[in-house]
Amino acid sequence: MKIKFQLNGQPVEAEAPIDETLLDFLRNRLRITSVKKGCDLGECGTCTVLLNGKPVRSCLLLAVQIDGEDVTTIEGLSKDDNLNPIQEAFVKEYGFQCGFCTPGMILTTKALLDKNPDPSIEDIKIAFEGNLCRCTGYDQIIESVLRAAKLIKR
Amino acid sequence: MYQDYLGEVKKLLHGKDYKVVGKNVIRVDAIEKVTGRAKYTTDFIIENALIVRAVRSPYPHALIKKINKKPAFKIPGVVAVIIGDDIPGENQCGYYLDDQPLIATDKVRYIGDIVALVVAKDKESAWAGADAVEVKYEELPAVFDPKEALKGDFKIHNRKSPGDVKVIKGDVEQAFKECDVIVENIYKPGSQDHAYLETEAAIAIPEAQDGILVISTNQGPFRTRNAVARVLGKPQSQVRVITPYIGGGFGGKDTYGPIISSLAAVAAEITRQPAVIVHTRYDSFVYHFKRCPFEIRFKSGATKDGKLKAIEVDYLCDCGGYAAHVIGLLKRAAYHSTGVYEIPNCNVQGIAVYTNNLPVAAFNGFGNPQMLFAVESQMDLLAEKLNLDPVEFRLKNALVPGSRTGTNQLLDHSVGIKELISKVAKKADWVKKRSKQKRWQSETKKRGIGIGCSWHGCGTTGFKHDWAGASVILNPDGSVTYSTGIVEIGQGTITSHAMMVAETLGIPYEWVKVELNDTSRMPDSGETHAQRGAFIGGTAAVDAALKLRKKLNKLASEILKCDEDEITIEDGIAYSLNDASKKISFNDLVREMYQRGISPAEYGFIKARRGYPDPDTGQGDPYAAYTFGCTIAEVEIDIETGEVNVLRLYPGVAAGKILQPDVVRGQINGCAMLGLGYSLTEVVERENGKMVNPSFTDYLIPTIMDKPEIAEFISVEDEYKYSGYGAKGVGEIAFIATPLAVANAVYDAIGVRFYDLPISAEKVYFALKRK
Amino acid sequence: MEEEIRPLPKFDYFSPHSLHDLSTLLKQLKGGISFLAGGTDLLVNMKKRITIPKVIIDINRIQELSFIEKRSNNIHVGSVTRLNNLIESSIVQENVPLLTEAIRFLASHPIRNRATIGGNLCTASPAADAAPPLLALNASVKLKSPDDEKIVPLSEFFVGPRQTVRKHNEVLTEIIIPCEKGSNAFMKLGRRRGFSLSVVSVAAFGIIKGDKFEDIRIALGGVAPTPIRAYKIEEMLKGVEVSDRSIEKAAEIAKSISKPSKRAKRASVEYREAMARVLTKRVLMKIAFEERG
Repeated sequence: MKIKFQLNGQPVEAEAPIDETLLDFLRNRLRITSVKKGCDLGECGTCTVLLNGKPVRSCLLLAVQIDGEDVTTIEGLSKDDNLNPIQEAFVKEYGFQCGFCTPGMILTTKALLDKNPDPSIEDIKIAFEGNLCRCTGYDQIIESVLRAAKLIKR
Repeated sequence: MYQDYLGEVKKLLHGKDYKVVGKNVIRVDAIEKVTGRAKYTTDFIIENALIVRAVRSPYPHALIKKINKKPAFKIPGVVAVIIGDDIPGENQCGYYLDDQPLIATDKVRYIGDIVALVVAKDKESAWAGADAVEVKYEELPAVFDPKEALKGDFKIHNRKSPGDVKVIKGDVEQAFKECDVIVENIYKPGSQDHAYLETEAAIAIPEAQDGILVISTNQGPFRTRNAVARVLGKPQSQVRVITPYIGGGFGGKDTYGPIISSLAAVAAEITRQPAVIVHTRYDSFVYHFKRCPFEIRFKSGATKDGKLKAIEVDYLCDCGGYAAHVIGLLKRAAYHSTGVYEIPNCNVQGIAVYTNNLPVAAFNGFGNPQMLFAVESQMDLLAEKLNLDPVEFRLKNALVPGSRTGTNQLLDHSVGIKELISKVAKKADWVKKRSKQKRWQSETKKRGIGIGCSWHGCGTTGFKHDWAGASVILNPDGSVTYSTGIVEIGQGTITSHAMMVAETLGIPYEWVKVELNDTSRMPDSGETHAQRGAFIGGTAAVDAALKLRKKLNKLASEILKCDEDEITIEDGIAYSLNDASKKISFNDLVREMYQRGISPAEYGFIKARRGYPDPDTGQGDPYAAYTFGCTIAEVEIDIETGEVNVLRLYPGVAAGKILQPDVVRGQINGCAMLGLGYSLTEVVERENGKMVNPSFTDYLIPTIMDKPEIAEFISVEDEYKYSGYGAKGVGEIAFIATPLAVANAVYDAIGVRFYDLPISAEKVYFALKRK
Repeated sequence: MEEEIRPLPKFDYFSPHSLHDLSTLLKQLKGGISFLAGGTDLLVNMKKRITIPKVIIDINRIQELSFIEKRSNNIHVGSVTRLNNLIESSIVQENVPLLTEAIRFLASHPIRNRATIGGNLCTASPAADAAPPLLALNASVKLKSPDDEKIVPLSEFFVGPRQTVRKHNEVLTEIIIPCEKGSNAFMKLGRRRGFSLSVVSVAAFGIIKGDKFEDIRIALGGVAPTPIRAYKIEEMLKGVEVSDRSIEKAAEIAKSISKPSKRAKRASVEYREAMARVLTKRVLMKIAFEERG
């Protein structure tokens, strides 16, 4: 099926098989490998993309469902080595270790701060409840989000 | 014999403070990871790669009578069906012992044992092909209880046990006679799944001249290379392994890396086309090897003055259908079985036994969390009988410089545990909370505080070799190309290497580039496990950098016409300490090396400073150095629902020099959460040895909501002389201490002792009901 | 093997833009239909081969199914309304806050961005968090087939684990919730603090007058093959003085009416029954406390 959608601010037209998830479509057809397949069942958060600005599980969407919609992956946050303030915060606060959950975490941060520029720690926990991390213990991720909020306000 | 690396670098730096080591820098992998550009194994998308799908046994123990490939070939996309006999080299992939075929031929020994590989053009055909292969099995009696396996005659292999270990010191029988208190219990710490977010995967690509390239999720590139070479029947030089960023290892990919790599390699070799195998999350949960469950009978005795006198331990390790990683962890557990205490009399015997459960892997702690769970529970029980405060009791017996361990190893320096315990206890306000807790009550909630002490020998356990290589090349423009076989699994070690190389050479950290991990670049660095990545792997980096630095110093002294001792190199400028006008830039110096035919490249190659314990008594030096850990946990228990809420953790480590403070904090906090999962919610539920809760919905790892408050970690920098910059390893120690502290805190809160892990709400509920 | 994750099976796909188009479609198709709303259950079940639909009808584009309105004294919610939209809706918060409280922590935030209220009810897990509050609020659902439309009280909607009265050619279009002023309480017990399937959940709506339970409605999830209303408790408490004793008695009844399936995993029968008691007691105490001020 032919689909037309916005990807990171650019219009895209592509052929998507009906039985392909958005995750597989992005990775295998568009070669956007920043979106990860951690579980394929919507339980881990590594496949997170922003759909019309909201975090969703791309492994639980069919590619054909995004026709006419707006999709953001982490590539949409920065160009080359110029980091978005959120990315800068994650670097400075060590909000990553193995990095596998990181694109999902950073996109979730973007969605959160776009809606709530001054989140409390409780707000952050609720927003990130569905993003699993096995390496960091979450403290430095929370600190990255808080720092990103500060950087953006400036 | 063994270089005093710490002393040498301190001399080189003329006693000045380090410029980069011990500070926080931007990690070498930071930009890639926060922009999503970091590539993991399955991000290398090879056009037209064939898909490999394993055919696995549905029976825990059975003879393979017949395999019919034909039905699979009826599926149009299927290109090959590979059975054990088709393997070009040796059909063997055991980690320590040659007891494990890559593809089973005569029988299967656990649910999931691989009997064939189907290779196809697309995913659907691979799956359909795997479903279609007809395998005829004859079921054999299966056993899942290790005690039953030991008693019975299940003939899983030719012998019941793949190995055992003993630590015998002093006279335990006599010592117990002199003890005033003796405590004996049986402990059953359970299994645990690594649950890293990236599942196992491997790509194999045939290369020119009969070579093969493997890209895979592994923690030991050279072990992987050697395993693949063996299975393909090729010389090791014909196999190249590239290890990209790994999405979490924790030991699981140390064990399974060579296996998944060999599966892809065999498929690629036979079809002469690129082949890829990827585990789904279900595959990973059900089939990849996990933490070894232990059954420990632990008897300890002390005299009424609070001195530990003797331990008598025997334990059983259920290794499942193949030995895999059990030998190493079996031995490590024995060598650490005294805990962080001086115990003059030990009789410790451990044995692994084959069952038809899933085999076991290395996993953060590697036998120590299991053994120390018993040790630290015993300590609190003894303390109670002796009417001593648990912290006081530990301080009375803690190891100090000059102590001898249970294997009679002399710890001459770098033993910071006593200071660590005191500092952590002070930070946690132990004395006040221990007594105040009795007063804090509500109708439904009870609080408790508990302590757990851990230690973990750094380096591959002493019955196998432990060497490491590294390569440093100075480029003519002064930039540095650094290669190591240590894998970046998230712990940030390769950044530490770059920092240590930069510090040793006297140049900015940014001048050092860490190359992609490729086995064709440098000699074996050993595996990334056992807290050895910076400790031993990094020391090889320092070894190489030191060799170059000495050459640079000499050359500079010749060019600047002064004594070698006067030379210092800082921020990329070499100059004389006595006359700062005598200087030359680093790149000019390097260019001179090239001009004068002085090699600008060096390999570092070192061996760990330890021996091989005696096979009968376990006496010897199994590790070069030990990292110590101490965690205090505060818990609150809802006595109506049984829920255990860990309120606060106070972690501490004595890990020598801390190379990257914020990175180490991340490891400690991450380890604490891993420990939290092992303490409370992570259960590998089994039926016939097969995991029956194979998803994140039912295998519960801690989420951000489960995070307790974790205090800033206490660090006692008890530097180790023989590692570059005095660092010891720190990747496992904080994990180990956590469940020990939580279990003791639970006891303090509700007076119920749990002898197995995890401590789930339901378990607590029923235990309280029985009380 | 159940639970094994496979590539998606092949299926036909339709995405009607109106209820009218949907009816036309349903008249043409024979069977093997699955409705795709949030996808958070369907796609998982398809990968596990628990559900293998011949046809998927994507109802996300039917605007008529996505709304939140107050009409006279009822809240009407379109079945394809996303859970997060429900949580953020002031109409829902002001009129039927019990629902907001119950679904606020259902699954996790990204799931709630797609999962729909209709989907949650049709999936009919015995532990579904959306059902107990709606049962306690006396909600009903509207089922529409090409030829017919009917309203079913939610108390008659669930017939077994993952089974409802909805026929294969019926679509759940709307949930109707009567508004009433009173006290609300919802509690659930998971197996960890972070998102996990509820072991037991209890929702209650109560009106207390003169220190007596004038009206009390309680529903439980995770203690029976379907979410249930605890009529026995409600009968016992009606007109009774609010006290520790009456609440204890009510909690005991909760335990006795709990009949969790022995096949249910995740927690033992005995524990579920015990937790039914504990949570019911706590929910009632919260209501009593709230009413007393």
